Amino acid sequence: MSFTVFATAIISAMLINNVILMQFLGICPFLGVSKKSSSALGMSAAVLFVMVIASAVTYTLYDLVLYQFNIEYISTIAFILVIASLVQFVEMVIKRYSTSLYKSLGIYLPLITTNCAILGVSEGNIANIWGATVPFGEGLFIAVSTAIGTGLGFGLVIFAFSSIRERLEAANVPKAWRGVPISLIVAGIMSMAFFGLVGVI
Amino acid sequence: MAATLTLAIMGLVLGLGLAFAADIFKVEVDNRIEDITELLPGYNCGACGYPGCSGFAEGIVAGEVDNLSDCKPGKDEHYDPILAYIKDHPNADGSHIDVKK
Repeated sequence: MSFTVFATAIISAMLINNVILMQFLGICPFLGVSKKSSSALGMSAAVLFVMVIASAVTYTLYDLVLYQFNIEYISTIAFILVIASLVQFVEMVIKRYSTSLYKSLGIYLPLITTNCAILGVSEGNIANIWGATVPFGEGLFIAVSTAIGTGLGFGLVIFAFSSIRERLEAANVPKAWRGVPISLIVAGIMSMAFFGLVGVI
Repeated sequence: MAATLTLAIMGLVLGLGLAFAADIFKVEVDNRIEDITELLPGYNCGACGYPGCSGFAEGIVAGEVDNLSDCKPGKDEHYDPILAYIKDHPNADGSHIDVKK
């Protein structure tokens, strides 16, 4: 449980294996909630929160319950149950404290439930970190660090993308490219830019 | 068997947790807003300066609106039922919403 492990997990999950641009998970909110940078930030905060708690809970659940009773095969449905409950909870909190954010996130807030980035991190933690011989505390620490890094990476990319899209609104884009097409081109260029970071660690 | 039990227990625990959370974070919705929205013309023109008729209704209930005639497409046939409705439905502390035609 050292700082090095923490920093490595964060940087690797945030920049090198970026969840959106390198693993192509969570594309739906990436394209859907990136028109305004303020709602993009709200979305990233909600995703970060759900991702971190979901990773901690699902890792614990897998280690202490599913593995002990030899029922690893129900991991997907059990994880989705945890994630769905967390999203319901986040929805209640946002509705209570920020009606405007609730309205600007719209359908994408409940859709965090089916956001493959979150299930992807939970399942990825089990596939990459969990092992019968890995001590529980250490594994949980790396899993949570990875989740924080992935959530920050999600936030970084979606915020950068929304800022670019805000600038594109005012730019002189050829008519046929306006709106979604130019955004998809931008996403592709951003993805290529992130490929430059492969091999840093 | 173990799988069924695990899912059942998880469902129970998470469901109870959400039920308590729903109680703590519940939002008080004033159902007068919805009723007044029904009574407005419903063009959502925005001439009143609020985002649509439901926004105007929220403004009325919050006491921000002084004159119902801010609603440009509205006529007496809209204003009168709203005034009557407001008379019948006072605020929680017993006072009436202060709004003129």
